[in-house]
Amino acid sequence: MMKIKRVISAIEKNYIIQNLRKEERFDGRGLWEYRDISIKHDVIASAEGSADVSLGKTRIMTGLKYDVGEPFPDMPAEGVCTVMAELLPIASPLFERGPPDEQSIELARVVDRGIRHADCVQTKKLCIEANKAVYILFIDMYVLNYAGNLIDAGGISALTALISSHIPEGKMEDGKLVWTGKYLDGEYIVKELPLVLTYGKIDNMIFLDPSLPEELISDGKISISVTEDKITSIQKSGEATFTFDEINMLAKKSMEIGKQLRKDLNFWQYKVNYE
Amino acid sequence: MPLIIKDEYPEKLFRDDGKRLDGRDKTELRPIKMEVGVVENADGSAYLEWGNNKILAAVYGPREVHPHHLAKPDRGILRVFYRMTTYSVFERKRPAPGRREKEISMVISDCLKPLLFLELYPGSSFEVFIEVLDADGGTRCAATTIAALALADAGIPMKSLVTAVAVGKIDDELVVDLSGIEDKAGQADLPCAITWFNEELSLLQFDGEMDLKQMEKFLSLAKTALSEIYEIQLEALKKKYIDIQEEVSGGNN
Repeated sequence: MMKIKRVISAIEKNYIIQNLRKEERFDGRGLWEYRDISIKHDVIASAEGSADVSLGKTRIMTGLKYDVGEPFPDMPAEGVCTVMAELLPIASPLFERGPPDEQSIELARVVDRGIRHADCVQTKKLCIEANKAVYILFIDMYVLNYAGNLIDAGGISALTALISSHIPEGKMEDGKLVWTGKYLDGEYIVKELPLVLTYGKIDNMIFLDPSLPEELISDGKISISVTEDKITSIQKSGEATFTFDEINMLAKKSMEIGKQLRKDLNFWQYKVNYE
Repeated sequence: MPLIIKDEYPEKLFRDDGKRLDGRDKTELRPIKMEVGVVENADGSAYLEWGNNKILAAVYGPREVHPHHLAKPDRGILRVFYRMTTYSVFERKRPAPGRREKEISMVISDCLKPLLFLELYPGSSFEVFIEVLDADGGTRCAATTIAALALADAGIPMKSLVTAVAVGKIDDELVVDLSGIEDKAGQADLPCAITWFNEELSLLQFDGEMDLKQMEKFLSLAKTALSEIYEIQLEALKKKYIDIQEEVSGGNN
């Protein structure tokens, strides 16, 4: 059991900051290192895709459900993909019950934007019949343990859930929806693999993947979503301000680290085949 | 496991060889696996896999009551929040808690209260959060069983554990531990829970039809099943400490 405090003591804060000044972390990591990441895929039988991702002690379980509905009028031949996040009171004494608060909405929005602008989900392939029926995908993230940096863990779990997906294939026959018995899999639905990388900032020190104590004493955070060759979304939150040079440096770092992480995690191994 | 596209009920709930659709005998339980201490941040926690059910429970407490007006000056309060994830069921569940979840929360809370010494904790609260990650029939019983284990893991003084199971009637036969499809297509469903310190029932619901004779049979079937599950509960609770002991002694014990 870990005791979670809302406020970090001055001694602990100084210790973390002194370490950062020496370009070290209080938990032994370097400035640009992630905590250990572990991924389990297709863990929920009722979901059409799922992932259980741990980033250090932070744990997020994500499930993918689908519905068939009418498309938006401005995109009559494209499916829809939505992301929701819930910070369960199970996960931390800092979380309370009730409707989604700012933190959970930010988590869902940042992950959503990273995926949406990256040519990741092939929404055109999620169309059954233009103007009539398209797939609506729901990616629902549930935080099961909170130990800092939900956004990066959420991004990885949302992507893994998409890759592990197995959605029944439907087609229209005489205006009625029939199931073909086949499944749309992750390879069919997903193209680009966007990753979101979050950096914390204290004074003028910037570091990757803030753990909970670091997050609590940070002046602010910045989340950058990257694909193999593009930046697809940026979100700065908190009071911190960033210089132009810092943003350029972080963008470059994100591409490098993202490339390596994508290789290390080898997402396509989580593809599921049902025939 | 591939998804069933049509949520249709089969005509018969027994196979030709007399076994149930998932290959069980009438009084056979689904495989049950329990583990305690799975949520790092919580005061106590437990995880359960019961057939296809996957349930996580965490306990926080004793702690301050929020909102404050709920606090009782002469005793502590127990609050149970049973929730399901949107992807735990065939059709995506709406994220906001529904009437069913609130009712089950209350039933579980009433079932657990007799176990605790709430009068020793005036002004504070115990909160049990139960999240059904994957559902396949009998989640309220599974949730009750795992909630008791999470409370015990939190080190909260308890009179005993509580164990729950559902018995029911499918195709005119009495069976133990209904699966999702048996629950929906069956004729009767009787979830019950036993508090072991006095061996009395602290959760009892019933939907369906039965006569007095069947009622007796139901309860005796339940009792045998409950003892079986209780053993698994105790094992799970002990295992955490056996693991710690082995770690400390370097596996020489």
